[in-house]
Amino acid sequence: MNEPSLKDQALLSAVFAKMDVLAMAIAAGVLFALGLFAATAILLLQDVPAGYPVGQHLNALQSYLPGYSVTWAGSIAGLFNGFIIGAIAGFFLALFWNLTHYIALASMLIKTAILAD
Amino acid sequence: MATNDQATTGINQQLLAAAIKFNAKIFGLVSGIFAALALIVLTQISLAMWGEHAGGYLGLLGVFLPGYTVTPVGTFIGAFWAFIFAGLGGSLTYWFYGRMVGKNISAYVDKLNDSPDPVLKPATLRLYGVASGTALGLAIGAALFFSTSWLVIRGTAESSVHAALLSNYLPGYTVSFVGGMIGAVELFLLVFVSNVMLAAIYNTVVDIRQGKVS
Repeated sequence: MNEPSLKDQALLSAVFAKMDVLAMAIAAGVLFALGLFAATAILLLQDVPAGYPVGQHLNALQSYLPGYSVTWAGSIAGLFNGFIIGAIAGFFLALFWNLTHYIALASMLIKTAILAD
Repeated sequence: MATNDQATTGINQQLLAAAIKFNAKIFGLVSGIFAALALIVLTQISLAMWGEHAGGYLGLLGVFLPGYTVTPVGTFIGAFWAFIFAGLGGSLTYWFYGRMVGKNISAYVDKLNDSPDPVLKPATLRLYGVASGTALGLAIGAALFFSTSWLVIRGTAESSVHAALLSNYLPGYTVSFVGGMIGAVELFLLVFVSNVMLAAIYNTVVDIRQGKVS
């Protein structure tokens, strides 16, 4: 059987490349943190009459996120909470990605071994 | 079998197509499991916190996930639909991403740090922000347009006050076909920029961990 070319090996390397779990957790954490902060800040920067309730619906997140509210102080808590949630999401995304590749690979190797017998 | 494409790029196009198909299935599966688990966790938290009064906002998902309610049984019906929709969306997204990266795969594989055994000792994945941003932006933009259209078609556009709140972040968005299209374009741009950022941070951390950045 012919050995795969270097390009084919590199392509296989790309297909089976594993996701860096820590890197994905940090990247998703930073993105979620900035996203939640920006979502809050956009509402706070709106030109509304004094005393007008701002962000009533987004405020509902305070049930899930300790310290969060649609205020500047709350948006800082949102940064922290957003990072934690994003990091957890990124961690599991990368973990599932790697895990499913390992499972798929294992099943292919078992199939190959059975066919070879 | 070498194809004409392979002759010009040096890439085995059949292997490339099989690789994209394989990873599209994997990403679809991962996306489906992820969405289903996220819905189950959120619903269970909501139930634990508010009991029979749970689901003020979360229950609105029942418009798009038939049979979903913030109840123990409704959770699993919703999780089933979340798995199907996110799975299909994830598969299509990866397929598009793979096709985009695939066009430049020749340059990519040249600079890839090959693993001595690519299958059993895999290299670390690199993300391509422009490709993933385009693919995910298109998928999420399309999801917003179709979900908005669904609200219009079922005749609840006027009462969809929560969906209309998206105009705070997507100027010009309304619960209408035209508003949905404007929102979809804006959301595409938002997701695109977010993905480029995500990929840049991810790749930088990978470089730092591999000692490529001092």
